[in-house]
Amino acid sequence: MKVLARAKRLDQRTLLLCLLTALVAVSVVSLLVGAGSVSPLRAFSMLLGSEDSDAHFVVWELRAPRTLIGIAVGMALGVSGALLQAVARNPLAEPGLLGVSAGAAFAVALALVLGASAASLRISVAQVGALAGCLCVLGVARWRGVGNDPIRLVLAGAAFSALLGALTSLMLLFDQRSADEVRFWVIGSLAGRRLDDLWAVLPSMAFCTALIALIARPLSALALGERMASGLGHHPQLIRALVVLCVALLVGAATAIAGPIIFVGLVVPFIARAFAGPDIRRTLWFCLPIGPLIILAADIISRVVVAPSELPLGVLTALCGAPVLIAAVRARRLPML
Amino acid sequence: MLRTVLRHGLTGVLLGSLIGNAQARELDTAFGNVEVPDSPERIVTLYEGALDASVAAGVTPIGAIATRGGNEVAAYIGEHIDTGLLEMVGVARETNIEAVLRLEPDLILAAPQLPEEQYRLLSRIAPTVVPASDGFSRDGWKAESRLYGQALGKEADIETVLENVEQRAAALNERLSDAGIGGTAYLARWMPAGPMVMSSELFATGVLASTGLEVDDEGLVKEGSAHSDVLSLENLSMIDGDWLFLATLNEEGQQALDAAEQSSAFTRLNVVKEGHVVPVNGQVWSSASGPLAAEVILNDIEEALLP
Repeated sequence: MKVLARAKRLDQRTLLLCLLTALVAVSVVSLLVGAGSVSPLRAFSMLLGSEDSDAHFVVWELRAPRTLIGIAVGMALGVSGALLQAVARNPLAEPGLLGVSAGAAFAVALALVLGASAASLRISVAQVGALAGCLCVLGVARWRGVGNDPIRLVLAGAAFSALLGALTSLMLLFDQRSADEVRFWVIGSLAGRRLDDLWAVLPSMAFCTALIALIARPLSALALGERMASGLGHHPQLIRALVVLCVALLVGAATAIAGPIIFVGLVVPFIARAFAGPDIRRTLWFCLPIGPLIILAADIISRVVVAPSELPLGVLTALCGAPVLIAAVRARRLPML
Repeated sequence: MLRTVLRHGLTGVLLGSLIGNAQARELDTAFGNVEVPDSPERIVTLYEGALDASVAAGVTPIGAIATRGGNEVAAYIGEHIDTGLLEMVGVARETNIEAVLRLEPDLILAAPQLPEEQYRLLSRIAPTVVPASDGFSRDGWKAESRLYGQALGKEADIETVLENVEQRAAALNERLSDAGIGGTAYLARWMPAGPMVMSSELFATGVLASTGLEVDDEGLVKEGSAHSDVLSLENLSMIDGDWLFLATLNEEGQQALDAAEQSSAFTRLNVVKEGHVVPVNGQVWSSASGPLAAEVILNDIEEALLP
């Protein structure tokens, strides 16, 4: 029995290594492929050292930043999806349900109505909006309620997201200029985002990573049940509150850089659990390569399908994510979390 | 021609004798022949091109729709009339039919793209004039303006205005070619993810072309579309011509330029290095049409290109 368990774990390590290799490979492809005239071959020979200023610019100034941002956004969304599903004990919980995306969209719309221009909008607006939206949802759900009844959190999130969405629409209805500009913001994309934006949200991402490392163990104990976790010396309410804070920060950061990208936070934990089994600690490890893998793959497709233009990433993740999710839901019994 | 005149005259006389003193004329519109009153007084324009043509012909409507991406009519209209007199009856995408009804117009001037259901509703309120159109074209706005002029009974005024615009463009064309200024030009709208290239078959690009610049869209714009999809930042060299006119949906062309300049893909273009990027007002360049807007565009070109 012990040997079997050990073999299985070894297997998972190899699997994780394979996924990491795949991520590296996709990142390289992401540097080589684009909508422009710099072909994969040209980009490759530039990487090997040939002189080509156009290729140099396109690869290092355009494709490398969006690859890095894609990796960060993918990790943040994947991990926060797994965390939220674990704490809500519902495999259909989505980070967006915390009111994060709705709050960010509302803040951006508000800034536009008050006179900002979409082109010069700073990302802090979106991040503050994301946090405010999340705090509102928690307020509605009651902080204590988070501990006792995760379903209440999900319901409050759904209700509050709908409310914020309606307010955003209402505001845009009265201001045509903003309505036209916000259209381009509400669909997530990696194109034209700047590395500065990534550096700006990196501290909050690092903070979350540290926090997750601290609470991963008690969180997995929580899956055994409230009493069991308490018996093991953990504080379920505190853990849940910390997890929600993490999710809000991570999704807020991702939304602030790349705009709302739906389905990734929902699909990645599904795939990760298929590899890792129910333990949240292993699931989180698997989310780390799978999230960026999906984002980067989708981004590469988004550059190629309508070249010389590009498709917004948010459209593509929704188009690909929906069938994947339906297949996953139909193929197996939903896991109990 | 003579026959049409005769027929119109005859119908006029016939109707005049039928209804008494209220005379009427008949116009050839996209939805067939429409009878319009001889001297309309309460005019509602549901199209920026119609508002422009009316004001150019010396007529102030009582109602109009807002410019795209705004809550008022385009600012340049305010240089000719007191826009406070205009009642807002909707936006480009949606007309508020009840607001039109409340104004009790005796003539409605609408866009060539007006859907038939809307036409049926509007024509029950007042005679509705819709120009026939076969998609986007550089000079379609002139025929539209003429039709609106006819509907208003101001054929001669519109002809004069249009002639002035054409003369002005020809003169500018000559001055530019004398100064050796010309070459290729693109009109684009800057979006956070990249630019949208405007079709070369639009009102604004048509006016640009009339000054002798070669306006192109590199085949990026699909048939029947006003602009391309958002162009990848990797492909900005496709709009790296001699001149680049940069707009947003609203007045803030300069903001669009500021935003674009944050992108290193933009700043490495030759057209940028030479300082040949011209920020323009999107209200005029991408939303409006008509003789007054054409004058503004010609002014912009003269100011930006001639030293």
